[in-house]
Amino acid sequence: MDSQTEPSLYTVKAVLILDNDGDRLYAKYYDDTYPTVKEQKAFEKNIFNKTHRTDSEIALLEGLTVVYKSNIDLFFYVIGSSHENELMLMAVLNCLFDSLSQMLRKNVERRALLENMEGLFLAVDEIVDGGVILESDPQQVVHRVALRTFLFPSQVLQSAKEQIKWSLLR
Amino acid sequence: MIKKFDKKDEESGSGSNPFQHLEKSAVLQEARIFNETPINPRRCLHILTKIIYLLNQGEHFGTTEATEAFFAMTRLFQSNDQTLRRMCYLTIKEMANISEDVIIVTSSLTKDMTGKEDVYRGPAIRALCRITDTTMLQAIERYMKQAIVDKVPSVSSSALVSSLHMVKMSYDVVKRWVNEAQEAASSDNIMVQYHALGLLYHLRKNDRLAVSKMLNKFTKSGLKSPFAYCMLIRIASKLLEETEGGHDSPLFDFIESCLRNKNEMVVYEAASAIVHMPTCSARELAPAVSVLQLFCSSPKAALRYAAVRTLNKVAMKHPSAVTACNLDLENLITDSNRSIATLAITTLLKTGSESSVDRLMKQISSFVSEISDEFKVGRANIWCVCVCVCVCVCSGGGGSGHQLPLPEVSQEAQRHDELPVQHAPSDGVFLSSDVSVDHLWLCADRWDNHTASSSMSLRPTLSPSL
Repeated sequence: MDSQTEPSLYTVKAVLILDNDGDRLYAKYYDDTYPTVKEQKAFEKNIFNKTHRTDSEIALLEGLTVVYKSNIDLFFYVIGSSHENELMLMAVLNCLFDSLSQMLRKNVERRALLENMEGLFLAVDEIVDGGVILESDPQQVVHRVALRTFLFPSQVLQSAKEQIKWSLLR
Repeated sequence: MIKKFDKKDEESGSGSNPFQHLEKSAVLQEARIFNETPINPRRCLHILTKIIYLLNQGEHFGTTEATEAFFAMTRLFQSNDQTLRRMCYLTIKEMANISEDVIIVTSSLTKDMTGKEDVYRGPAIRALCRITDTTMLQAIERYMKQAIVDKVPSVSSSALVSSLHMVKMSYDVVKRWVNEAQEAASSDNIMVQYHALGLLYHLRKNDRLAVSKMLNKFTKSGLKSPFAYCMLIRIASKLLEETEGGHDSPLFDFIESCLRNKNEMVVYEAASAIVHMPTCSARELAPAVSVLQLFCSSPKAALRYAAVRTLNKVAMKHPSAVTACNLDLENLITDSNRSIATLAITTLLKTGSESSVDRLMKQISSFVSEISDEFKVGRANIWCVCVCVCVCVCSGGGGSGHQLPLPEVSQEAQRHDELPVQHAPSDGVFLSSDVSVDHLWLCADRWDNHTASSSMSLRPTLSPSL
């Protein structure tokens, strides 16, 4: 039997978002499993090749557990060691996806993502910190990211009207 | 000249990426507007986003240019725009290792960490701890202690996790915060519980008695957090292993009780822990195995995968304990997830009787012929396993009059020469370097156990390519 690995809060090795061509849109590596950019991109290419045609959610690749999810033209990955609880990694993946879904108003696709990269950066920052799962509830993540959308003057007025209306209804 | 997002980029169709043609020196040039007053939050945000995007793509920043950009970014603290401030924290973290003199932001971050805006406090703590050294840490020690026990969960979590990161650098300082961490562990928030427990464990792990006491307390107090439970299970297993605790130990009882937890992440963790215990009898494994059996029919692929993977491990030492799951495993052979299918097959190899292996062979051959050529990798995978099945059947069932399907399999495999296979010596066994190591070792093990001649051993063939 495998020897027990050391209990630890450090459970996530990487969070990746690739596009339809397998190119990196976002990547955050939390340890030095792949220390150079070259190795990272080789890894990304490999997992993309092995996962983009299937709909399978989970695989063991290069000795690591890879959980993934795709939507339209985006591929989301959370990577952990093969000793990690697979459901824990799924929790991170789902939190990321659901948070983005709320922030992008369900348009989880490449174009919308690229127009909201700061939202993505901040969301991931609230979900995983240095490899430790920080938050698993997408509502909390969206709340903490606290993005204020920039509005043009006429939209500001419209938005203000909406705010007042909703606060009266509450 | 200030360069805005080119409208042309956004309109030139869905293939365009507004960040695609970013040039580092141009972006850094743009960053000079950070020094202008009044600060234009929207433009500055765009530029920071571009800088972070470049860093994320692996673009290299030299120390001088990074430092210049960093210093320019510090001017942005003058703005009260929330998103901009948050992006500044992020930039600090991203550039902490490549810029010089990053500690100049310490006072701004300390101010935000103790300020009124809750939305700043957590992120400010995390950014601050990223740039802190031991001396500075002592200077902010009281703020950290306050933050750990703060009622706002994001503040407490940020402080706890940051403290954990700093254990390596300043163990002696962080150790002094044990009482605060203990208090935080009684929080209602499921993430704070998890983080507090994690920090406490990391601080105490070399003291077995302390860990034992801590476990005792937490296993009785009924935590809510499934993440904390998973951590507790792991700590308990480790302690059991270290103390060679018997299975009448309360630790074992605790783990076993987790099999009945509401959250499947916890149930799975418990089952996995029991399965991995070095001295488990088949009887003790039974409840864990039955839980895993249930998971085999879950609609969630991750759960099926976790279950079959763990059953595979059980089957290595206690194949009889897994026999009850054979039917569920057979259902998984046709799972759309290749890893699950392969694991199911290799598990059945160990637990199946001769008649069931026969049935297995039939199922595999019909299913393999259905896989389209698109799934080349999966196909190579399945072929490998088929070959190994044949090999095992032949080696295991020589006396029972089984047909030797090897020639047919070899022929079939030979036709598909686009598969990444290599020939092994004369026995017609084909191996693919795409199959996971776990699976190949398992098959090799079984083959080797049945074959007297070392020239037919699969191990030497496997080692060079893996």
